Amino acid sequence: MQSEAVLLPEALQPPTLFEGPVTLGSLDDQVLQYPARKPPAAWYLAFAFTSMLMTLGFSLIGYTFYMGIGVWGNTSPVFWAFDIINFVFWVGIGHAGTLISAILLLFRSRWRNAIARYAEAMTIFAVMCAAIFPLIHVGRPWVAFWLLPYPNQRGIWTNFRSPLMWDVFAVSTYFSVSLMFWYLGLVPDLASLRDRTQSGIRRFFYTVFSLSWRGAASHWQQYEKAYLLLAGLATGLVLSVHSVVSFDFAVSLVPGWHMTIFPPYFVTGAIFAGFAMVVMVLVVVRETMDLKNLITAYHLDVMNKIILAMSCLMGYAYLMEGFTAWYSMDQYLHHIFLQYISGTYGWAGWLTISCNVLIPQLLWSRRVRRSYIGMLFVSLGVTVGMWLERFVIIVVSLHQDYLPSSWHIYKPTLVDFGILFGTFGLFFTLVLLFARVLPVIATSEMKVILPGAQPAHGRGRHE
Amino acid sequence: MSDGVFAVVGLFDSAEELLQAIPPVRARKLGRVEAYTPYPVHGIDAALGLRRSPLAGMVLAAGMLGAVTALFFQWWMTAVDYPIVVGGKALFSWQAFVPIMFEVTVLFATFTAGLGMLFLMNRLPFFGHPLLTSKAIAAVTRDKFGLAIEAEGEALDVEAAKTALATAGATALEVLPFQRELAPLQFMTRTAMGIFASCVVAGYAMYWVIKLFPVLPPMVHMEDQPKLNPQKASAFFKDGHGMQLPVDGTVVRGHLPYLIATQEEAAGLANPLPRTQPVLQEGRTVYNQHCAVCHGLLGTGTPTLTSAYGAKPANLQAQTIRDYPDGKIYHVIMKGKNAMPSYAADLTEEERWAVVHYVRVLQRAQNARDEDFQ
Amino acid sequence: MSPRPTLAWILAALGAVGVVAALFGVSPERFWANWLLWFLFVLTIGLGSLFIVALGHLVGARWSVPIRRAPERLSGLVVLAAPMALIALLSLPVLYPWARPEGALHPAIAGKAPWLNVPFFVIRVVVCFALWGLAYRILVGGSMKQDQTRDPAFSVRARRFAPVFMVIFGLTITLVAFDWISSLEPEWYSDIFGVYLFAGTFLAGLGASALVVIYLVEHGRLPGVTDDHLYNLGGFMFAFTVFWSYIGFAQYLLMWYGNMPEEIFWYKQRIEGPWLNVVLLLAIVHFLVPFFALIPRGRKGDPRGLRWVAMLVLAAHFLDLYWLVLPVVGTSPPLSWPEISFALCFLGLTLLWVQRAMRSGADMPVGDPLLQEGLEFRL
Repeated sequence: MQSEAVLLPEALQPPTLFEGPVTLGSLDDQVLQYPARKPPAAWYLAFAFTSMLMTLGFSLIGYTFYMGIGVWGNTSPVFWAFDIINFVFWVGIGHAGTLISAILLLFRSRWRNAIARYAEAMTIFAVMCAAIFPLIHVGRPWVAFWLLPYPNQRGIWTNFRSPLMWDVFAVSTYFSVSLMFWYLGLVPDLASLRDRTQSGIRRFFYTVFSLSWRGAASHWQQYEKAYLLLAGLATGLVLSVHSVVSFDFAVSLVPGWHMTIFPPYFVTGAIFAGFAMVVMVLVVVRETMDLKNLITAYHLDVMNKIILAMSCLMGYAYLMEGFTAWYSMDQYLHHIFLQYISGTYGWAGWLTISCNVLIPQLLWSRRVRRSYIGMLFVSLGVTVGMWLERFVIIVVSLHQDYLPSSWHIYKPTLVDFGILFGTFGLFFTLVLLFARVLPVIATSEMKVILPGAQPAHGRGRHE
Repeated sequence: MSDGVFAVVGLFDSAEELLQAIPPVRARKLGRVEAYTPYPVHGIDAALGLRRSPLAGMVLAAGMLGAVTALFFQWWMTAVDYPIVVGGKALFSWQAFVPIMFEVTVLFATFTAGLGMLFLMNRLPFFGHPLLTSKAIAAVTRDKFGLAIEAEGEALDVEAAKTALATAGATALEVLPFQRELAPLQFMTRTAMGIFASCVVAGYAMYWVIKLFPVLPPMVHMEDQPKLNPQKASAFFKDGHGMQLPVDGTVVRGHLPYLIATQEEAAGLANPLPRTQPVLQEGRTVYNQHCAVCHGLLGTGTPTLTSAYGAKPANLQAQTIRDYPDGKIYHVIMKGKNAMPSYAADLTEEERWAVVHYVRVLQRAQNARDEDFQ
Repeated sequence: MSPRPTLAWILAALGAVGVVAALFGVSPERFWANWLLWFLFVLTIGLGSLFIVALGHLVGARWSVPIRRAPERLSGLVVLAAPMALIALLSLPVLYPWARPEGALHPAIAGKAPWLNVPFFVIRVVVCFALWGLAYRILVGGSMKQDQTRDPAFSVRARRFAPVFMVIFGLTITLVAFDWISSLEPEWYSDIFGVYLFAGTFLAGLGASALVVIYLVEHGRLPGVTDDHLYNLGGFMFAFTVFWSYIGFAQYLLMWYGNMPEEIFWYKQRIEGPWLNVVLLLAIVHFLVPFFALIPRGRKGDPRGLRWVAMLVLAAHFLDLYWLVLPVVGTSPPLSWPEISFALCFLGLTLLWVQRAMRSGADMPVGDPLLQEGLEFRL
């Protein structure tokens, strides 16, 4: 009555989640056509490039196995460098996917449905890239399985008091849970694919992996319940996994690392970097796969707002770190903070602050939030800035710690860079394969929020 | 199984129509009513009279089990089976156990939710379900809403079911027969055999990999290190030996260089130790351990090893030795004499002087004067 | 007239007598620690409620619009906290080592003098209250006015102001944590402390708002507000119970692990001896009980169950502040007539203030253009 008569100002309008006419059938046709089609030449080109990078990376990993960690730049006192930076970077990127899939589901956000599938897939690929590093950065990677607490003839158990052990559990749990969550979400869509495919090897795989899903209401009831429970559990993981990763640093006594704000600071940074990656990839996806009517400007707008919010939180964290460093009256902490912004690596500190706090402030402008150039510039900056932030935290704190006689400037080698680029190659190769083989949008979830999809009887709005 | 009818299914164009059709169809009580939709429809659980899912309780229980399991295992491994103190922390550092407890809780809960939902509650996969080979399935996963009356126990009244569905507004009615077992059975056996075969192949491959892998480079690089090993040749030294004697002039730890060359020069050395009970007892202990072997417990030089070596150890009771100043005895210990090797490396300086005192005691004991007994 | 106002007056009066007696009867540390505790409790309920209001505007939530008036009224407690803060400034030399002249003798404290000195502290307090007052006028004052004008322009303005408020809130809640609480022991520092206080503050706001909403619903003053709206409140309470526990444990774990003297003494004071009972009780009432109580789906939306949990959450927040502040008084948790007097007095005052606030504006923000959508909200 009241609101129907008054025209809502634009700022208060409900979100436009669909553009143009979309029906249940047209959703299927639009999204599910791709697994059946041959991809365009651009896909092959991109795939060739990313595979090349990936192969380079894996070859260099093999080279490292053969020659030893000495081919990296790690040396006293900087015993952790690119290996851990890349690990934290990739695990962080995974968190955005889980936030979108799980946390936004708990909030009953309708805009998440268009991007949840893609984001969750990116989580799994990012965790795969991350998991490489703990395995290869040990002196004897071929016995990395010693990290697992199994009864053995060495007569020892692993050290559960170490955060590195907590990492083993956290990252493997995160990977399994994300995989389960993603796969369960895929099941109804695989059923749709099965029923659209007449014959052949593809139909066989869809049949098997759709687990004979047939959309029975009694099944949907259990499925929804399980999905909601998984979302709640995955939410706990978003907080805990990157907190456990931050514990790798924060439980130590290295100046600059033993700061209590590390757990939520790392989690915020993870969501931040992850959203930037999601935005970048989603821009490419919606353009090349002509999905602009399903992944609308609203989706990008709201994701950019989240990036902006995270950027402000990062600014808060940097402010707290800086203030506490002074407040602590600890000469070692003072020294390290000065090194963050001056000294050999001072450029990295300033670039980090610019990319993570200053540049994203551009997103206050609605124009920037809805322009490709604007959001790509900001997101690329955030990706670089977040990687550099880990570099600053790890390398600067290690290269000049308590004993001046141990101080040493760290220089990464080409092998370090090659492996980093190789993981980008792996990540984007998997992303390209995913886009080729599986539906990038969860059609069953999109159908739920289509206008007119739910019966009006007894049920109202859902936000 | 017989070629009976499993269900009759009809299609509707919208969720609204489906929801309105359910009550009249259920009221006819012709069998179990199931709906098939491309996405979950709100309100359909209540309309079909579905019972609440027990998954939440199962997941909570599994999570609690995970927490307790993780706590127990960490406690047992860290405080009972392999208790070592790390970082000065208590054996039962429960604070450090919390992160893993949390992760294992989530792990147990997640697998219960996912696998419990699929296998236990929904009994998926079931590749033999008649709907999967029907005409309706493609519509039902795309954009149509199906309502089915399934046979429950006795045979389904197909005509009545068709009428009930048509009256409720369904289109495209279809009768679903029971699947004959063979087709799905063949599929299942083929899949099962495929899985089994892959496991066997993988297992065999893993066995050989684990057997051969550790002897390939770079895994063996640590076995073949360019360092000196005992009792092995080495190209580093001219004589090709890995084990070398210390360089001339090497000073033994805890020892000072002894520069006196002859016994005469040593005569001037004074015994720095006092002649106290503890010193003499130490002297006795050391003498019995090192010297008595050749010189005898009384210093008389009647040992058990003389015949073996052919040399005659000195009789410490001899007048010449009784006349030695302490320094000369010390020199013999340091440099050896004739067949006796140097004992400098075997005794600390304190021990050596203590032995000298004790030798004096032995000499006095064997050559006691009458006054000593008063 | 309902019996409630009389009860509140009686409590307040009885308590006030006890408080005055305590001023002369117990040590100044104990008196001022209690004052500080109650000041922080009232302030955080008010700030938490204001945060809820701003959060609703920030994300454009529809479901929270019908119940938004409750936290709007509760945020008036910030105004009650202002005179309490002014009086609390008298406690600086009593409770805070850096405000005493001998503070300059300790190098760890003297070095912090550019930040920890009385004039700058007072300025910070005044600036915080000024900013909160400004936010209160914009968000709550504007909302009350919208009841009459029915002008959607306020909602647009509120939406634009909300992110600014978030920045203000983040910085000021951190200042409250660092200035009023952690500088009680100036050698100690923890940069997560602002986040920790935020978690408790948000929970306090949620608990208090839930109690007010349930009261109004049961008296039929919120027609159209259903269990589904309460479910969302319950859901947030659950989520932030977990969040508070996570932050609290993370801080403890890191300090326990590092075991550095300049950090761990703060925990040793609070978990050894008689204080161990308090911290165990805190873990139970602030984490275990609300967590397990809010897991069942039914409990989150059921007004009767939710009311008990909301009361527990508020009480737990109070216990949290007690555990943070009172250890500076002594090795034994004080609980006697001074504490009870303070409780009676300030509970009474708060109740009176809230009752007065309940008479301002309509029970629902009737001028809000999104109200109808909010009333149609179903899970």
